[in-house]
Order: sequence, then structure tokens, then C-alpha cells
Amino acid sequence: MSGTSQPDQLPPIHSFLTTRPQTTLSRLYARPSACLAVFRLLDDVARQIVMSLLWLDSKTGVDLTAWVSPSETARKHYTAAVLGLVRLHIAKEGSGRILILPAFQAGLRRALTGGGEHRSFGVPYLTAGGKDQMTTEQLDDYALERWESILHFMVSSGSSIGRVPPPSNAVIYLLRRSGLMASIGGERNPDSRITSQGFQFLLEDSHTQLWDLLLQYLAMSEDQGRDLVEVIGFLFMLGSMQLGQEYSTENLSDTQKVMLQDFLDYGLIYRRDPEDHTRFYPTRLATTLTSTSSLAFTSSKHEKAASSEGFIILETNYRLYAYTENPLQIAVLNLFITLHSRFENLVVGRLTRESIKGALANGITADQIISYLTVHAHPMMHKNNPILPVTVQDQIRLWELENNRLQSDNGYLYEDFNSQGDFDLVLSYAKQLDVVLWESREKRKMFVREDGHENVREFIRRRAEAS
Amino acid sequence: MSLPAHISLILDLTPVPWAALSRASPPLALRSFLAQALVFLHAHLALRNENSVSVFGALPGRSVGLYPPVSRGSRDRGAEEGADENTFHVFQQVDEGLMRRVEEEVAGLEEVEEDAPPALVGALTKSLCYINRLANPPPPLNPTDAPPPAPHARIVLFSVSPDASVAYIPFMNCIFSAQKLKVPIDVCKIDDSEVIFLHQASDLTGGAFVHVDQREALLQYLSMCFLSETETRKTLAVPTQDKVDFRAACFCHKEIVDIGYVCSVCLSIFCKPVAQCSTCHTNFSPDTLVRFGGVGMNGHGASNGTTA
Repeated sequence: MSGTSQPDQLPPIHSFLTTRPQTTLSRLYARPSACLAVFRLLDDVARQIVMSLLWLDSKTGVDLTAWVSPSETARKHYTAAVLGLVRLHIAKEGSGRILILPAFQAGLRRALTGGGEHRSFGVPYLTAGGKDQMTTEQLDDYALERWESILHFMVSSGSSIGRVPPPSNAVIYLLRRSGLMASIGGERNPDSRITSQGFQFLLEDSHTQLWDLLLQYLAMSEDQGRDLVEVIGFLFMLGSMQLGQEYSTENLSDTQKVMLQDFLDYGLIYRRDPEDHTRFYPTRLATTLTSTSSLAFTSSKHEKAASSEGFIILETNYRLYAYTENPLQIAVLNLFITLHSRFENLVVGRLTRESIKGALANGITADQIISYLTVHAHPMMHKNNPILPVTVQDQIRLWELENNRLQSDNGYLYEDFNSQGDFDLVLSYAKQLDVVLWESREKRKMFVREDGHENVREFIRRRAEAS
Repeated sequence: MSLPAHISLILDLTPVPWAALSRASPPLALRSFLAQALVFLHAHLALRNENSVSVFGALPGRSVGLYPPVSRGSRDRGAEEGADENTFHVFQQVDEGLMRRVEEEVAGLEEVEEDAPPALVGALTKSLCYINRLANPPPPLNPTDAPPPAPHARIVLFSVSPDASVAYIPFMNCIFSAQKLKVPIDVCKIDDSEVIFLHQASDLTGGAFVHVDQREALLQYLSMCFLSETETRKTLAVPTQDKVDFRAACFCHKEIVDIGYVCSVCLSIFCKPVAQCSTCHTNFSPDTLVRFGGVGMNGHGASNGTTA
């Protein structure tokens, strides 16, 4: 990603799209639902630019700079937004004039006015009586259970003990492929463990997590030779569907039917009758794909989801109280604390040298642990400044440093100098270059860093030729 | 992350000016106006998943809520019946709900009320109440939940009729409540009549004021000037009125005055010097009245029986 735009403002799917050729994107923009989804994931200013130009039929483009507020930040923001649009092939810019490209313009216009025969918003499945529809709560429960089973599988490092059934092999394959989990031993070994990247993944909110995984899915689909337009188009179609409405698969391509099967594993869709392949429900995971905020489940098991708000109290004596009964959160905590006792809504544990060491050995960093504890700190902890006790933070970092007591450098050992004079000469030259890591006058040996090796060797050769 | 936005649309649905507009050049029939307003609402809803809209109508003599529908149950069913694979389901809900209500209300208009001025104040008040309710949601059932963030709300007012100076005081009260709620009032003036109160409304609340010169390009005006959210406006500016007419209407005859007389206690405005304030019943000193040259006895306050 180029540094001129604000990378954190470009959602991951857009950075993915910008790397695709223009023809792919033009084909994608032929679907109004895709245009709408791409548009939604733009940032505020870019959206307004698109909207301002959408209904103009100018062939040369329009100069919007007069509308930009005369402040430095506003101008920067504007330029970044325009650049983002150009890179997504939504607009093109020439000498300050911006023009929305016809493919996107037509698609978004169609999406906003409705009508047409593109069927890109999903074909609803019309039930005769409409009596036994799934409620949104049921769908939420299902999606949440599916999603947490994936996360739980990750934290329990593949052993999947307890109540949660393990996810399907396709999901495990994707997790390994994306580097979130690594297999222990050989590729064939079914046991996996969480990686540092995987732990970072757990710290993110579920919306980001979902997109992370879906991007991996897109990359995987591409490797398998599927048509990317079909795949992304289907994702965006799911994103524009209505929660609680059942949809028919009659209009889907074969690729999309395969995807449907995959998404069943992720909890993006639900089939009431597993054998009936003609209809499906999108879950909240799917319908909020194009929203910018995190998921809000209206689950009946609501306290499970809600307790992600902040439940950890950490004392200066390394004791940790977590007000949760969510097995996933307990499993995450179990990665780096020693649990002592568990109550109805509370687990008590202690940060110990051993528990932290265990986490570090799994590739989890001290910063990740501290940031997890900070993000999930109980509201009462927010009275403190800083939120976590400094002593504990320092100690976690110190434990991490213990692992790094040895520092390794690559280099070359010089020995067997003919005379002390030669040695001194070379040594002083190498010291001028500041590349000596270790020297011993008595043994006439010195160790030179890798990057200084060329110079020192050249120096010795020149000396040898001269004499 | 930016907060969700809420737009409250206020439509002036008085038949007489709309009949005039559909014959004017360039013409703008109510039906084509509503179609463009709907696309505008679609565009707003397209901006973000959490965005919401409400629509209020000002009819002659009364105001009505047009969207969202009052009975929630019927809407849910209705939307599911005719789900369409070619239209985003959110848009469809708004389209159907709004058009049905507008048709009902316009069809239900009676001859006698058509001459009354539009109840703009009523619509504005309803809209502000709705926004206030959004900003203060009922406490969630589960007390550990954080309440959902209140949306950034703003009002977009479409005006086709001239000011009704009778409603000056309640109108100003609306503006002040909007200020307090931090709700900008954007005004889109479609016909050519003078509206100094609406100028003041947009100016005092920090909203945009646009007079649509080319009515055939209404949608362009809407998406360029009225769609941008409060945050976006810091980057891409919206047009405001550079000359604002700050004249007020007097409390006694509801006429717009160039020079008024203001009660020193309650700031009521009068077009002539009076002996006693009609609002707070303060008696003014006779000397002052003499200095202003007004007798004050033949005015509004004279009926109170003060002797000069």
C-alpha cells in the first residue's frame, strides 16, 4: 500500500481490490449490490465526493476544489479521498477535475434508484405460509456459536476440548493457510497451535476478524482458479441481504453454491434443513459485512456477547479477576494466566512467570498481552491512570526480556595475523569503521560485523599487495 | 469511527403552491419531487448501514409523521411480502412506507383546509421530538450493556410556501431547541417566495441554505449540498446564506418589523411602544413612553387600564 493515503482508513477489502486489474473491477461494478457495498466501505469524504458527482453527466469531470474547506487538514483529507477513489477505479482525475467512471456510475445509480433485472440483491425464497420463519435471535445464536467455535478452536490450540465442537477441516485449513495457526510437527499433523499473528487476530473486534478471514478466503479462491468477480460479488450480495429473510439459491452460479457451503462453516449463512440446498438464511455476520461498525448481536444469550465490554480486574499483586463465564474468554485468558478458581460469573487467576513464559513460547508478545488486558479492562479499572498497574506491566515486559538475554550478530572472525603490527593496523582500520564486535590482542583475533567484512577484507588485500 | 447519522426530512405538502409549481417553468410536480426526495433518502441510507431517516409532512393546518410508520408490526410484514431481488431491501421499506402515507394524507385533504398556511412548526416540533427520542433511548433491558451511540441528527426542510409570521414565536422556540440539541436545520427553498425565518433557522443552527434555481436539477442540489454529514462538512463545505435577514416579527400584530421596541425584562418585541408588556405584565415607566414619542394608550397594552 502506498504511503500517500491513510492506510488505516482504507478498509482491508479495498486494499485488496486496488491490487486487482481494472477489468476485474469493471466487471464487479456491473453489479449494483457490489457498487453499493464498495461505496459504503469508503470513508466519509470519498463518499460525499462520489455522491456529488454521481448524477452529473459531464464528460470532462468536475473541479471540486472550490468546495474544499480552506484548511490544511481538509485539503489533505480531500486529496487522500480522491486518491483512494482513483485507485479503486471508481473515478479518474486529471488536472484537478474528477470524473466518476461510467461502470461505477451506472452501477451505483441503478442501486440507488432500484429496478432493473440484475437480481444482485438476492432472490428471496417465498414461503407459502411464511409461518415458521427463523427469528433474528435464533440466527444470531447460531452465528455466534459458529464464530466462537472457530475462535475457541484457535485458543484451545486445536485440542477443542469442552463443549464446543471443532470447526470443519476447511476452516482449519484456512486458519493454517492464513498463518493464524501453525501445525505442530509436519503438515499432515492434525494438531495446530495459535501463532503470534493468531493472538493479534483474537484482540481485534469480530468485524475486523471476519474481514481478515474473508480476505484469506478470497486469496485462496483465487489460487483455486475461481472467478474473483463471482466470489466478491457474492460476498457483497450477502452484505446487502436482509436479516431474517430466507433467500433462494436459484440465481447463483456454481462457484457461488460452493461458497455457500464454505460460508455455512463460518456461520455467515444458515440452512434450516441441512439437506435442502435451495434456500438459506444470511446471518448477522453476513448482513453487517458492509457496515463500518462492529457487530451488535441481539442474541438471547446476550450476556455472552456483551461481556466482551470489559471484565478484567488486575491488581498490583498480579492477581486477576475476570467477570465472565464465556468459555472463549476464559480460554484466551488461560493462554497467559494461571487460573486458580472458577465461580458462577467469575474466574480468578494469577499472572505468573511460568504462565507468561508459556505464552511467550507460543509466540504471543508482552505487548499483545498488555493490550488485551487494557482493552478488556473492567470499567472500574478505568479510574486508574494508567489502567493497568505499572509494576505488572513492567514485570510482563521484563519476563519477555529474559528470553532475549542473548543477542546474536552475524560476522566474520579474523585470525592468524602474521605480526602484531599487521593486527594493530587492521584493528584500527576496522575500529574507524565501527564494525568490530570483539577483539583480543593476545590471541590476535577479532570479530567483524557482516556489513564491515567487505571493507576489512579489501583493506587487508591492498596491504598484502603493497608489501 | 464516525457515528451513524439521522436525517429528518420535513416536506411542505400544501396543495396550492405545488399546483403553482407544476405549472411554473421549469415545472416540478409533487410526484417527481417525491421521487427525487426518495433517491436522496436512498443515498443517505446507502452511506452507512446504521443510518436512519424519518419524514414529517406539513399539511395545511396540521402536521403528520410520514415515516417511520407508527405501527411497527404491519411494516415488517408488508416489506417481506413483496421483497424484490433488484432493490436493496432498506430502500424498498422507505419507498413503500413513505409513498403510501403521502398518498393517504394528500387524498384525505379537504377543500376547506387547503387555504390554511402549512403547519411547518408542528412538523418541526414533531421532528425535534423524534430526534430527542433517538438521542435519549430507553435504558436497555440488560443494565450491563452500553446504550447504542446517539446518531448525529439533522433536519432537512423543503419549503415551497412563504413565511407565516403568525407562527413566529413557536418557530423561534423550535430553532432554539434545535440549537440546544445541536441539530443543524438545512433549508432547501424550492419556490421563489421570501422566507426570512428559514434563513435565520439555518443560520442559527449552522445548517445549509440553498435556493434551488434550476428545479430540473433538484437531485444534484440534494446530493451535493444536503447529503454531507456533520463531520464531512469540515472538509467539503456546504453553501450557507451570506446575507441573513435577522428581522423579527412583533409579538402584538405578528408583523415583521425593521425597528421594534423590546421589553427590558422578557425581551418581547413590539412594533409600537406600549405601557405594559403583554407577555410578562411589566409596567413601563411613563417617562420612557413619552421619550419614545408613543402614547402607548391606543396600542395593544392600553386595554390593561394603566393610567399614564
